Amino acid sequence: MGTHYWLSQSFTLLLFAVAIASAGEPKPTPENTISIKIENEIKPQTFPRPIKFFVEKVIDRSGNPQPMLVLEERGGVFLDKQPTEVVQQALQDTLQKSGLLAGDRASADYLLTLYLFHFGLGSGLGGEYYGKVDLNVVVKEVASGKSQEVTALGTSVRGAAIRKKNILKNTQANISEALEAALRNFLRGTKLRDVIAPQDAKPSMPSEKTTSSLNLTLECSSGYHIYPS
Amino acid sequence: MRGYLSLFASALLLTSFATAKDEPKFKSIEIKHFPNAEGVELPPEFSDYLYAELKATLQKKKIAEQFVGEDEVVDAADAPRSAILEGSVLEYKKGSMVKESLIGFGAGARSLTAHVKLTRRSNNEAIVDKDIKVRAMARWDPKTLAKFLAGSIAGELKHSE
Repeated sequence: MGTHYWLSQSFTLLLFAVAIASAGEPKPTPENTISIKIENEIKPQTFPRPIKFFVEKVIDRSGNPQPMLVLEERGGVFLDKQPTEVVQQALQDTLQKSGLLAGDRASADYLLTLYLFHFGLGSGLGGEYYGKVDLNVVVKEVASGKSQEVTALGTSVRGAAIRKKNILKNTQANISEALEAALRNFLRGTKLRDVIAPQDAKPSMPSEKTTSSLNLTLECSSGYHIYPS
Repeated sequence: MRGYLSLFASALLLTSFATAKDEPKFKSIEIKHFPNAEGVELPPEFSDYLYAELKATLQKKKIAEQFVGEDEVVDAADAPRSAILEGSVLEYKKGSMVKESLIGFGAGARSLTAHVKLTRRSNNEAIVDKDIKVRAMARWDPKTLAKFLAGSIAGELKHSE
């Protein structure tokens, strides 16, 4: 009788604790869900030869158990799509607009695999949050099969907000701007330029060649003067 | 009539001065991450936050027309009016809340010293090259220092050249 009573009491308490914990967890609703889109057009750098990219896949490496929940406080803020989908869509749209997207895998010069290390908000000051998108892109050249990594980071800071409406607006703007900055950082980055135009293909070090040939000329001429044939 | 004309002329002159003052000094500025010097122990997210805060503050103060991300290409034509902002965190002192409460007058404050360098992209001319120290209350978040440092750098850049 006593054991049964204590067991039932413990079970009721456990149920009560679970109920409290689940009540605090925010749920996605149309009112607290935001959509991330790139507002401004990103102009990629110009490459020395016409090339096409194909986005193979985007892999989430953030380790976030709830990637769609970007803010837990104040009833929560959710994304309408998985971050991997948002990034893939944004990159494909940007490449499409610039004429750099390959129709399929077979017609591509470079295959892109994106690793998403951070997508969402970083902790800021007090009630202020800042958007952060951290990418690592593996660029694989189809012809040679050689892969190289390119990192890209985008951040954005908006002021603190108190009203729920403004929190949603700022969060959406923060993440959208951070995503735009990260994609721009990737597509206009010197790292991508170096991957596309490797060192051996670059018309670099003309000054060094000139110096060495100049030294050779001087040696020859001095040799001629000291030891005339 | 002459009085009205002179008033109109001076108003026009003032407006043109104001417009010239608001015009950004640079076409573009590339902001780089500030690495920590040896022995500086700051929270791991501090570097990214400072980078974000710097970009936001310089944008707000209209120091340049556009802000280029780290290691992004810049058109050769824009190079003379473009600059690179880099630096490093030289020293960070956590401060002491006990000292702050007992002594006051700035004693025991949290502080950070950073070396800041702004160079012109075309000829590597140093436009700003100095150490900047910022302070905050010991009980405040270390990220406050990032905000203050970004504000101080923006002030330096605004009054550079």
